[in-house]
Amino acid sequence: MSRSTSRGARAKVADGLVQALVWGTAGTVSAVFLCLVGDLLWHGLAGIDLDFLTQGVERTGRAGGIFPILVSTFLILAVCLAVSIPIGLLTAILLSEFSRRNPTLSRLVGASLDVLAGVPSIVFGLFGNAFFCIALGMGFSILSGGLTLSCMVLPIFIRSVELGLRAVPSDYRLAGAALGMSHTSMLLKILLPAGAPGIAAGLMLGVGRALAETAALMFTSGYADRMPSSLMDSGRALSLHIYDLTQVTGGRPNAYASGVVLVALLLVINLLASWTVEHIVGGRVQRV
Amino acid sequence: MRHSLHLTGLAGLVLLQAACGNATPQAAAGQLSGRLVITGSSTCAPLVSDISKRFEGLHPAVRIDVQTGGSSRGIADVTRSIADIGMVSRDLKPSEAAELMPFVFALDGVAIILHANNPIRELADAQVKGIYTGAISNWSQVGGPDAPITVVHKASGRATLEVFLKYFGLKESSVQPDVVIGDNQQGIITVAGNPHAIGYVSVGAAEYEIGQRTLIRLLDTAGIPATTANVHAGKFPIGRPLILLTRKNPPELARHFIDYCRSEAVHDLVQDLYYAPVSAK
Repeated sequence: MSRSTSRGARAKVADGLVQALVWGTAGTVSAVFLCLVGDLLWHGLAGIDLDFLTQGVERTGRAGGIFPILVSTFLILAVCLAVSIPIGLLTAILLSEFSRRNPTLSRLVGASLDVLAGVPSIVFGLFGNAFFCIALGMGFSILSGGLTLSCMVLPIFIRSVELGLRAVPSDYRLAGAALGMSHTSMLLKILLPAGAPGIAAGLMLGVGRALAETAALMFTSGYADRMPSSLMDSGRALSLHIYDLTQVTGGRPNAYASGVVLVALLLVINLLASWTVEHIVGGRVQRV
Repeated sequence: MRHSLHLTGLAGLVLLQAACGNATPQAAAGQLSGRLVITGSSTCAPLVSDISKRFEGLHPAVRIDVQTGGSSRGIADVTRSIADIGMVSRDLKPSEAAELMPFVFALDGVAIILHANNPIRELADAQVKGIYTGAISNWSQVGGPDAPITVVHKASGRATLEVFLKYFGLKESSVQPDVVIGDNQQGIITVAGNPHAIGYVSVGAAEYEIGQRTLIRLLDTAGIPATTANVHAGKFPIGRPLILLTRKNPPELARHFIDYCRSEAVHDLVQDLYYAPVSAK
């Protein structure tokens, strides 16, 4: 009797310890996040007003605003997503749905994706510069930058979508086959909607990596801070602008302000992306 | 009818071209057109970008794209004809200078900084050398309080590092740093946050931060106060040039732009970034 109670008490202490540890670590992680955002807001919020968002860059970014930078950032991101999403979805479908038919090919594709995902971004920058800017003659341009970014984003995007598709229970596939659905309609009506959380996660990770990128863009989309007039113009991305401002004497206040804008942008785009995917692609499967 | 109109147009174009061809020698003001690509040093890039905006304002038909990537990249891009002008923020090596034409357009002094509360007012060159090689490791050895010295050093490949090593006759491998930093701002923050630290940064950047009440102090070098005025006058011993360089026989537009970068018309922009302008000779 007494032995079992002491064991029970010990278990309680152990439970309490583990609980404290879990709460403690979770709290620490959140605290790091809050400190970071707090510091950013504390230093940066004062610098943001309508003029900051709508005017051109002056005095190397220490005066004026970031409007041309925002436009360039959106254009780079648009090029990147326009290339990454179709290629990414199709490759993920190949990897998750057709790997049994051609295991060697899918293993090869998978391995090259994993290697690509681990390559430092500066290497992508140098590759993008050599390939898109020089070999293909695109020069320092938003197009070169967007394409280089899509090379970087694709491995992460494909792996997340693939995981999402693999997580779809095979009962769905069997049921679809039993009902005589074609491969295409099964893909469009069942697999993609059911795998929507994976697509949303991949999109978020991809957008996050693309917006945060500095090194890969320095050598591809470049440094010009004027308003781009086409995709063939050089355009400075917001993250590169922040990096540049931290090196300019007296640039810190606007570096912080631009940082706040970047984080806000990331939140808005992520919310928008996940909402779109969940409700438009994923909505279908919930109605079934 | 249409045919003849075309012909007149063509004749007009030819005439216009001939007129332009004749006009090029005196085309100094307002007539310049074309595109320049400038790449290189990230120290020069903000300044050259600012100057090029003003230049584009004067010559609306000119477009200048400034790109960064470091001094060595600037040299490589000009050599390979990818860029018209390269930006370099260190002295050129003889092998690099042979093929290219360098033009100094601004100066940047490099000086020793300490924490503002550090009672030390001056250090001899030999003492600085001793501190950086580890021979002197406590402030009491140079007349300060009994506290270990935190040596703040720049990361390998930085232009300020090369300038610093050259002046004090140090080898990179003989320096014993406690903290390794990247750019000037990081160096200033590191020293301002540690009362026992010593570092070296751009004079202009340090002057600005002192104006912002950042807790650092600039030390004299060889008895000469570290001020932008002394760098400008060429008196301060440690410094580096900010250079624009081209291939031999640069295009007309590049030559005009370089002249403009070295003219008094941009002194305010140079000083706005806390560098010392060069006086046109």
